[in-house]
Amino acid sequence: MKKIHLSLILLAALSVFVSSCNKELEEPLKEAYIPAKLDEKGGTWKTYILAGSDEVPVAEPKATNSVEYQAEITKLKTTISTITPENKKAVAYWGAGAVYRWNEIARELSARYNIPPASNAEGKYPAPDAANPLADPKFPFANPPYVARALAYLSVAQYDALVAAWNYKYKYSRKAPSKNDASVSALLPVSDLPSYPSEDAVVAAASYTVLVAMFPGEVPLLDAKLAEAKNARIWGGMNVDSDIAAGDALGKAVAAKVMGRAKADGMSASNNQTVNAAAIANAKAMGLKSEWLSQEFPARPPMLPNYGTVQTWNFDRATMIAMRPGPPPALDSDEFNKDLDELKKIDKGQTREQARIANYWSDGAGSYTPPGHWHRAAANLCFKNKYSELATARTLALLGTAEMDAGIACWDTKNYYYYPRPQQFGLKTSVGLPNFQSYTSGHSTFSSAAATVLGAIFPSEAEKLKAMALEASNSRVYGLIHYRFDAQTGLEHGEKIGQYAIARGKADGSGL
Amino acid sequence: MKLLYKLILVLVGSVCMNTYAQMPHDAIYMNKKSICIATTYSNSQWSEYWENNLKRENLNIGTYTMQSVMPMVAYGITKKLNLIAGVPYVWTKTSAGNLMGQKGLQDLSLFAKYNMVQAENGLSLHGVLGGSVPLTNYVKDFLPMSIGIGAKTFTTRLIVHYKHKSGFYITAHGSYIFRSNIKVDRDAYQADDRVYNTNEVRIPNATDVAARAGYYKKGIQAEIFIDKNTCVGGDYIRRNDMPFPTNNMKSTGVGFYGKFQPKNIGFNLTVRRVIDGQNMGQSTTISAGFLYQINFRTKSAEATK
Repeated sequence: MKKIHLSLILLAALSVFVSSCNKELEEPLKEAYIPAKLDEKGGTWKTYILAGSDEVPVAEPKATNSVEYQAEITKLKTTISTITPENKKAVAYWGAGAVYRWNEIARELSARYNIPPASNAEGKYPAPDAANPLADPKFPFANPPYVARALAYLSVAQYDALVAAWNYKYKYSRKAPSKNDASVSALLPVSDLPSYPSEDAVVAAASYTVLVAMFPGEVPLLDAKLAEAKNARIWGGMNVDSDIAAGDALGKAVAAKVMGRAKADGMSASNNQTVNAAAIANAKAMGLKSEWLSQEFPARPPMLPNYGTVQTWNFDRATMIAMRPGPPPALDSDEFNKDLDELKKIDKGQTREQARIANYWSDGAGSYTPPGHWHRAAANLCFKNKYSELATARTLALLGTAEMDAGIACWDTKNYYYYPRPQQFGLKTSVGLPNFQSYTSGHSTFSSAAATVLGAIFPSEAEKLKAMALEASNSRVYGLIHYRFDAQTGLEHGEKIGQYAIARGKADGSGL
Repeated sequence: MKLLYKLILVLVGSVCMNTYAQMPHDAIYMNKKSICIATTYSNSQWSEYWENNLKRENLNIGTYTMQSVMPMVAYGITKKLNLIAGVPYVWTKTSAGNLMGQKGLQDLSLFAKYNMVQAENGLSLHGVLGGSVPLTNYVKDFLPMSIGIGAKTFTTRLIVHYKHKSGFYITAHGSYIFRSNIKVDRDAYQADDRVYNTNEVRIPNATDVAARAGYYKKGIQAEIFIDKNTCVGGDYIRRNDMPFPTNNMKSTGVGFYGKFQPKNIGFNLTVRRVIDGQNMGQSTTISAGFLYQINFRTKSAEATK
């Protein structure tokens, strides 16, 4: 009997030991910082959509010695004295930065909606319906072109709204509550940035307006995020109500103007499947022996075949056509066979390191896509360099517009050459096969454009960023879904596209 | 090859006695200092799976096949305490679509089984502790093609067994399987309806319960069983998405197990069909094993109860 007891005790002890193992996931903590620079002249920076930083009026605030303001301060102090641990958590979360967090939220929604529709009983793929976003299939299918565009409009709206906010901040110069009244205890570091209108409320309202349009099924979540983002500024003692209200109104008004461009940019025609026949005929007239065919069962129509006609940001359509890459190798050429042989070799003996690179950059279904990957890298660089909200938004707008331009120019190229994927020559894939043409590589174009833009903004990181883009490009060869020439040409194309965003950034008056 | 050579040497050079191969979930024990070496081939196939709770086919997979060859060794430390170790080589493929098959050595498992109570009336109680560790850095989140999910596991199991002197028996067991977090190649992924910005993935723990009834005497064993493997929590495969290691996978299976081992050489056969599940394939698995028993003692005893 003694032995039985011993083994039972041993069993119980081991169970306790194992169950106490920590399974919590550690994600990087983001602590609030005082920006390295306040970008005092930010109100003069060049906007994308607004004609000027005073296009949307913001009324002069009550003076800090007014009865009204003092009443707001009193109310603020009462609120601070009653906040809960959950409120504090929210303050810390949003303290990482408004642009930072809203970009992260947008990436999260992108991943959530990045699933291709299932085929129905008739073997067709029903198109997502914006009017019924939560039905199957959900709207949107947040594929790379869709995400590139959503993040571009998000960042542009944040940037334009913050330029306007900076204009009014320095025009009215209302100090932060804790600088007006030392008895206000702020939970986050307080800079000398004027607090009216609240930059956090501006970003929250602008982001909310864009994201509700891009992800119409997520209104309840976005409502909650908007309310929390604004409340966190009160709970943290960072703003009074009138700072928030003015910021909210400004952010919404600017974003509405930005969404005016979005509604007319041609995206609604991007899934026009009638363009394929003419595109195939054109490619064949140029000598293509066999065109791209969907490798799915049942055959799925190509992803947004008309996305190449959507309105670009940093160059016009004629410029885009002029820099369209030259034709890919003929399908019976030595050059083609050489690059196909490279893939066949990987197919036979993919190394673990090749698989790792392919997986790391796969950014396929269920992910925030390559544009999301690069937005994350950019947001982290801004955070690391203690950028102001405005400088962060500028960085992401330059990146976001470059990524959308890259998507448009790459899709134009893909549809123009209508080139078959390696899977049409018997290869498998370790990352999943995108359902559109091979030449040129979207990953390579997105990544090269991103690395080019970010390398100009963060010169000390330029080399590393370029290496990342090269690895992202290689990943598509290692994953067996692109020929080497798809990847190489995409890299070159992306760099040219990125240069246009850099030119804009150099001329926007920021001096950055 | 070297290993194979050694194995042959052991087989040829040993004094063989008729004890019986055993499993981490049964109530059969090796004699002290006896060894059983087994090699099992398994073939598991499905053409339909549960996407969350939706049973569906996938024309881009067709029929999925996972095969494995698993060398196993069981050793009797005493007649009441046995060790069982195994390591499978696994390979996967699909009959349609273009997902690349994966292959490689999977996880090394080691179990210790202890006969805690042995009553005169045939009732017995057994405790099993075990664990597994991945032997290679295989890709863990390319499901369903991955050869495993790469978690380290720790299993605690209780087995209740009753054997009538006629040879008929019933067995029931319940296990709790702790599973460690894993690291994947990417540094962000979607799970639990959110994006995790890390390469670490939380793997739900699991339970398994089974009931068996059969006959076992003189080297012949035949049983039928029903079992249920269930994750403790986890998320689900989203509509038309791929599976992920965080999924709450569940399966209920029924099957047959048979073994014939009159002397030192034996064979076994397992057939299991999943009858209900969630977030996984409705698989049919057929396993066939070759068993070889070695006893290092010159004097033997009947090894089984």
